[in-house]
Amino acid sequence: MTEPMTSTDLAVTAQGLRKRYADGKEALGGIDLAVSPGEIYGLLGPNGAGKSTAIQILTTLLVPTAGEARVYGRDVVRSQELVRRDIGVALQETGVDPLLTGVEALELQGRLYGASRMEAAHRARDLSERLELEDFAHRRIAAYSGGMRRRLDLALGLVHRPRILFLDEPTTGLDPLSRNALWDLVRSVRVNEGTTVFLSTQYLEEADTLCDRIAILRAGRIVAEDTPARLKGRMRRDVIELVASDPADSDALCALVDRVVGGASRDREAVRVAVPGGAEAARTLLVAAHDAGIALAGLRVAPPTLDDVFLELTRDAEPDGAAQSEGPPRDRAVGGGS
Amino acid sequence: MRALRLATDTWLLTARSLKVTLREPWAVVPNVAISLFFLLVYNAGLGGIGQLGAFGGMPYLAFILPVALVSGSVGGAGAAGQALIRDLESRYFTKLRLTPVSRTALVVAPVLSGMIQLVAQTVLILLVALGLGLKLPAGPAGAVGVVLLAAGWGLGFAGYAVAVALRSRSGRTAQAATFVFFPLLFLSDTFVPMTLIKAGWLRVAARINPTTYVFDAMRALLSGSVQEAQVLRGVAAILALAAVTLGWAVYTAQRTLRDA
Repeated sequence: MTEPMTSTDLAVTAQGLRKRYADGKEALGGIDLAVSPGEIYGLLGPNGAGKSTAIQILTTLLVPTAGEARVYGRDVVRSQELVRRDIGVALQETGVDPLLTGVEALELQGRLYGASRMEAAHRARDLSERLELEDFAHRRIAAYSGGMRRRLDLALGLVHRPRILFLDEPTTGLDPLSRNALWDLVRSVRVNEGTTVFLSTQYLEEADTLCDRIAILRAGRIVAEDTPARLKGRMRRDVIELVASDPADSDALCALVDRVVGGASRDREAVRVAVPGGAEAARTLLVAAHDAGIALAGLRVAPPTLDDVFLELTRDAEPDGAAQSEGPPRDRAVGGGS
Repeated sequence: MRALRLATDTWLLTARSLKVTLREPWAVVPNVAISLFFLLVYNAGLGGIGQLGAFGGMPYLAFILPVALVSGSVGGAGAAGQALIRDLESRYFTKLRLTPVSRTALVVAPVLSGMIQLVAQTVLILLVALGLGLKLPAGPAGAVGVVLLAAGWGLGFAGYAVAVALRSRSGRTAQAATFVFFPLLFLSDTFVPMTLIKAGWLRVAARINPTTYVFDAMRALLSGSVQEAQVLRGVAAILALAAVTLGWAVYTAQRTLRDA
């Protein structure tokens, strides 16, 4: 069962990972991943984008239809047993026996990973202290609130000191307070143990505050991948809309805008462009239009929200090439189908 | 090393399964109650026919006791399936699958905990029968033999219950599947010896029904003159059932554990 480590020192790698279910539905259309050790990496996408499928493949619960994936150099299909020793999981697809107490579940988990009774008891006490479960440690899990269950789930995933922790939508359904507490826990795990964290979420805010890098998943494909800061940088463009007083000037105006800031598009009378720092660019454009002798009838500067951009990236229709004739212009921050 | 691992894992999961069962004792009570009800009511109502020659001088209490034991063992075996269903429904089963725990232990543990419950029930029913005046002409060895037969028969049913549980993943389906217990328990020489069964079709059904051979083996052990051939036929019936159902359970487990 021993398999040589690959040359890569990455925590997670995947090439062309595809999953087609028996009913013919394609959940993953071929994704590539490269996650470094110690990183907090997030898969961001709406329901049905393929996040859970990806995590289930990486945690050995599902077998991919094509492509390959490795966790710390070990193939998730051929070396399942070794992969399982390296990973800790808190997935939607898993639960805990509600008739056990928190401590019992933690101790059993430890012993199933080969710890002695003493070690397992010690670790259970340690973790329930750290995750602030002590008050409920000896109560049945059936009595736990949603937030406590998530914390217990996290603790169960940490029992054997995994090298990487997989979290599937760790805060879905939690109130803001519990959510913040869980975020702090995930951060502390990385800081204290150096554990790599691979999570999925449908909350932009969660990906933003927690992750070092984010991949945006849409319909089984990664449509963007970068650090939150850079993604936001790319996303944080304002939309400027100019309308010439004389419709005959529209073409000239469009050419002018294209020359000055680039990427202008026509929508009937309006000329639209998406640029970083919209207010500054608007000033430049106004001066340029004035110098070119084009009188303006209208000017609008609108900053798209992150949610807008997220929706843009994850909506079904392929925005590529289509002339935008309705609604505000959308800035395609990142190329599709990369 | 691997065998030690399997033993440890099986023990850990079995202990946990028993612990959880004891936390919901009411789930076990109906099964024990029904078995004791069979014993008390049939013995009270039909006890007199034990004087018929066809019983060969065997007290009716000893004759009807195997019915109570087999009904109890089937129920105990059903508990194995229910334990698995509980874990499948709470998705704890998936969490356990993600640990390096032995795959075999995952399926063996609920069966084992069902068997332990079953043996405890069987002993309890035997004690009640002794309280009602049961004599053991074959001595304690006969009683031990009866317990082993009940456990073996239960094991066969546990295989069936586990396979149905893994296949259906639904408590209701698993519950419904235990109804095969009715024809198996009653299409047999349940109340009277074969020679007193009037309807020809029922005699045929009883000869086909493997439960008949288990009843007869238990009765042989509870009678004064133990007939080895009868006991062996009962053991053979148990081995046949267990081979089929446990084989099915292992096959189903391998399939569902691979691609679920």
